[in-house]
Amino acid sequence: MAEPKKPGAKYVYGVVHAGDEGWSKLEGINGEPVSLVKCDQLAALTSEVPDEFLEAGREELLTHSGVLEQALEKGTVLPMRFGVVLPDERSVRDELLAPHSEELEAQLRDMDGKVEINLKVLHDEETVLREVLAEIPEAADLRRSIQGKPEDATYYERIRLGELIAQALEDKREQTGPAVVDRLSPHAVAVQIGDPVHERMALNASFLVERKDLGRFDKAVDELGEEQGGRIRLRYTGPLPPHSFVELEMAA
Amino acid sequence: MPYRGGSGYVARSSSSGLYDVLELILDKGLVIDVFVRVSLIGIEILTIDARIVIASVDTYLRFAEAVNRLDLMGTETQGLPELMEGITEGGASNKTKGMLQGAKEALFGDEEDEEEGEEDEGSSTRRRSSSSTTKRKRSSTGGKKSRSSGSRSRSRSSS
Repeated sequence: MAEPKKPGAKYVYGVVHAGDEGWSKLEGINGEPVSLVKCDQLAALTSEVPDEFLEAGREELLTHSGVLEQALEKGTVLPMRFGVVLPDERSVRDELLAPHSEELEAQLRDMDGKVEINLKVLHDEETVLREVLAEIPEAADLRRSIQGKPEDATYYERIRLGELIAQALEDKREQTGPAVVDRLSPHAVAVQIGDPVHERMALNASFLVERKDLGRFDKAVDELGEEQGGRIRLRYTGPLPPHSFVELEMAA
Repeated sequence: MPYRGGSGYVARSSSSGLYDVLELILDKGLVIDVFVRVSLIGIEILTIDARIVIASVDTYLRFAEAVNRLDLMGTETQGLPELMEGITEGGASNKTKGMLQGAKEALFGDEEDEEEGEEDEGSSTRRRSSSSTTKRKRSSTGGKKSRSSGSRSRSRSSS
């Protein structure tokens, strides 16, 4: 039996300074308007969703990041993780804003004028494989020994060769990742290193950058790409709200 | 005006594409566990770390084949670029623990081979399939930080 949907649950996108203006035109999940729930110095960016478990796919994920992206253009925003729904407006105040007001206000001040840049660095496959052959004689020998032979006949050589390459990729990751971080860190306030999500990924990191330093940061990224001459590819996403640099302590 | 230089080796995008923000919006940010009420539809979330994937026989064989196919008549490899000099360990110590590793791989496949096939197929169909979406409230974890994977593991395929 389907119950009638109860309106009034609040999906929360993020937390902003209560004094900031200009949020009202944002459109949230299911096309509902984004509204502010205020509590002293803080305000939550919310929109109404049915009071039931939210089924979410690509569209909702995009809306969540879209609202935050637009909010970032208007001011400082502490992004919520995707999928936080409180039962009503009052609980947004009583469960989220009021009990955490001190840390939220402190983090908002901290994040004023700062944005997150996510950077993924991938080794170019062909370049990196050539490097391995040049650097590891055993790999070059194995390659020669499998050339022109059927796969079945060279199974163990292939496995050994692949193993050498895998190890070399790990080593290169450990060289390239920290080197990139070192080069960009001077232009960033903080950095969070994530796990690589691709076998040739040398670095998956988020940098917290002052807006005023963004030009220098971007330039450093480009210089890095140029310098490496196609050896690495950099994927740069941002400016983003500071997803990787906010956190909520559980109230005692 | 921010620097807008160009480089063929850097691909830039804002957050409007899902690809690179997915792990951030699902795994980072402020959260109160008990109020995470969402089930992801058609988005297969796996926990794969590239470093685990890399250590498999299949991967080894694939690497071997890739090397086998290389045309070595081309340019010889030069030495490593200067980047590698003077590395310090400092930068990478602050490692975050991601619960979502590999989600993008699951969503998009190998980034250079496929586009967003699987994702499109699944998530655009927001249908309410039978009874498997139950309303589950997570009880608060005992830990101090309110970080947990919550709803993320409850993914379903859209078939």
